[in-house]
Amino acid sequence: MPVPTIADPGPSVAPGGSKPPAQPSQKSMTKAERRELQEKQRAAKLAQKQQPAGSMAPKNKPPTTPKKAAFGETGGVKHHGLVPKDVHANAVADDKTSGKPISRGLQIFSHFGLPKPIGHTVKGDIHPEIIRLGLLFSEFKICGANARAIATLTTFKKVIHEYTTPAHNTLSRHLMTHLSPQITHLVSARPMSVTMGNAIRQLKLDISAVDIDMVEADAKTHLNHQIDNYIRDRIILAGEVITGLAGKKIKDGDVILTYARSSIVEKVLLHAREMGKRFSVIVVDSPPLLEGKILLKNLTSAGIPCTYALLPAISSLLTEASTVFIGAHSIFSNGAVYSRAGTALVAMMAKGHGVAVVVCCETYKFSEGVMVDGFGKNELAPSRVTRSTGDAKAVSPALNLETLNPLYDLTPPTFITAVVTEVGLIPPSSVSSIPLALGRTL
Amino acid sequence: MAPDIARNTASQRSVEVLASKLRRRQLVGSRTTALETVLVLRQVVSKARFSNLEQLVDIIRNAGRKLVEAQPKEHSVGNTVRKVLHHIREEYHTATRGTSVVPTAPSYSIAKFVSQGQPRKQITAPKAESKGTIKEHDANDPDSFAKGLKPVLMEAIQDVLDELETVYDNISKNARDHIHSDEIILTLGMSKTVEAFLKAAAHHRNYTVIVAETAPSYDGREMAKSLSSAGISTFLVPDSSIYALMSRVNKVIIGAHAILANGGMFAITGSQIAATAARAHSTPVVVCAGQFKLTPLWNLYHEYGALDFGNPSDVLGFEEGDLVDKTDVVNPYYDYVRPELIDAYITNDGDHPPSSIYRLLKETYDDEDTEL
Repeated sequence: MPVPTIADPGPSVAPGGSKPPAQPSQKSMTKAERRELQEKQRAAKLAQKQQPAGSMAPKNKPPTTPKKAAFGETGGVKHHGLVPKDVHANAVADDKTSGKPISRGLQIFSHFGLPKPIGHTVKGDIHPEIIRLGLLFSEFKICGANARAIATLTTFKKVIHEYTTPAHNTLSRHLMTHLSPQITHLVSARPMSVTMGNAIRQLKLDISAVDIDMVEADAKTHLNHQIDNYIRDRIILAGEVITGLAGKKIKDGDVILTYARSSIVEKVLLHAREMGKRFSVIVVDSPPLLEGKILLKNLTSAGIPCTYALLPAISSLLTEASTVFIGAHSIFSNGAVYSRAGTALVAMMAKGHGVAVVVCCETYKFSEGVMVDGFGKNELAPSRVTRSTGDAKAVSPALNLETLNPLYDLTPPTFITAVVTEVGLIPPSSVSSIPLALGRTL
Repeated sequence: MAPDIARNTASQRSVEVLASKLRRRQLVGSRTTALETVLVLRQVVSKARFSNLEQLVDIIRNAGRKLVEAQPKEHSVGNTVRKVLHHIREEYHTATRGTSVVPTAPSYSIAKFVSQGQPRKQITAPKAESKGTIKEHDANDPDSFAKGLKPVLMEAIQDVLDELETVYDNISKNARDHIHSDEIILTLGMSKTVEAFLKAAAHHRNYTVIVAETAPSYDGREMAKSLSSAGISTFLVPDSSIYALMSRVNKVIIGAHAILANGGMFAITGSQIAATAARAHSTPVVVCAGQFKLTPLWNLYHEYGALDFGNPSDVLGFEEGDLVDKTDVVNPYYDYVRPELIDAYITNDGDHPPSSIYRLLKETYDDEDTEL
């Protein structure tokens, strides 16, 4: 079974999990041989660890990875390098020997994927800029679909700049293989966002379209331009068009409600304020990330009167709101909005109160495929990020107690009134026809 | 008369003490306030001097009014007063009639219904001339009435107290019928009733509980700790993920602060979004609440549940410095949940749908007590 060498996000399959870092030793074995090796390793560890078998600590790490490995079907899909995997194989072995069934809850949420620990191993020849970016991602210092896409593309510009084609190779073919471990490293830091995936797919298209006869320096400059154009056209300019379009929907005296922090909604509100409209904003926020506070800071410094509350209070606030503006991480073909966890609740309550829900989303965020609930693809925030909110009452995982922090959820299209894209205001049902109408695949 | 005054002021003092505790929010929580109210009323009744029922009712009503005015948002105070009054009237009728005065089950026939309208619980006025063992208005011995009736009254109040003390046990009695194996239950906030309910079911069933943190009070964390220490597999999640996880949740079980006359309820903020999300997924919403939470009250005019607000610094603290100046911070403490969002109330007196709450109210309280 050929292990894919390029970490392709793939058209419709959720790229939520990570792709295997190319393990030459394992690649050369067949599936049966690999399973044998794993069994042997596990038995060896089991024999070693029989003494402290009573410890309950392994239970804290949901054994998602070793479960997949044990079943052998996904043959070689791993989240981490080899070392942490053995520890997890241990955990499974311990649980099985102690006779206690792994608590059911872990099985339901196991496909969400384990939140990555910090010091993930760096495999192979990774550009230092990529390492830096991976660290920023895993620490949630760069957070948000647009921010991550722009950061990724900018970093890749640097990588391409410092790349030299080895002898007997063409840039168009070799550059891909050069980039794929970098991409894998980023994905291992934090699962790929749809925006990153789309941007990288476009980049690959551009790379493969480079003329074989082009001088390397020219080719690199060309790619540089392509990346710049992509960022400029599909992210920044699109953002400005959306700002103008959505701004028209804000009238004097409006009360706009928004949730968490969407970069594009922030731009819309600030732009409308610059245009001289008088309106007020309700910022609804939710722990643990509490991103809304930053939005609140930016809006109040622009002089917009704001109200701030947490998510459970939303039913009291919606009586005052005239429109709800939300951002999206991505939109699926059926018009379902994949966005920060909590957005679905906001949209649901707004619909119940008869308040219009407007989603601001650039077309490069569109994703093929259909998702029906927040379970199909999601990401758990690692506990180090959630604990940084510094609560005295914070709960540490104990026996029978796990914390889950899904980062995203899916808002069904029935709760959405309109989607503002750079091509205009569309109803959520028309999302699937936009790429076609624009004459491109995505 | 001096000893009388002394006795009266003693009970007055206890009422004042409780009223100031309520006003200062030193006493919070429906069950605790209900218990304290019963104890104070017991003291008031034991020290009270009256020669007929109306006087006693007035005394109790006055005490009750003071307490309710001290803290109108703790509905269980008023409910307990009404309950005590109801029991007292019942016991009085039993005592004066000699035999049980509860009207024999009225024959419900269509003809009667058409001619007389809806059958209502008969509240017969105490007939002064009906003699049982109690003599009212005895000029020679003004205390005889009171003395004769007091043991009966004490029993009545003791009944109310017993009911309050066994609330958790009675509600948890049928817990295992409501929760099946391998279910996933969603709950939020810290409700001792729900906690007892879930722990009782855990003895018989193996299931998982998802607890929403319920910011900004973060009561959910306490609940999660308590449940997990009882051996229930628990997941603590932030409120934002309620919708995301709802597709896997089999039941939503929440507690109530007060049950209103239309079948709706006041509950901790967050209950409204959980119930609405459950409705969107057709997941049943079950509320565990003691009968002392039944309130003859309607929420007609405002969305802010019970008009009670928590500390805004829990939402945006002063460490945010200049933000605090420029923003309005809202922190409502309660939500109002419409009766359409609730599927069942599990009370210590059985399970009821929201549509029959009005009937429960009629049976538990007397109409004239709605306004204390």
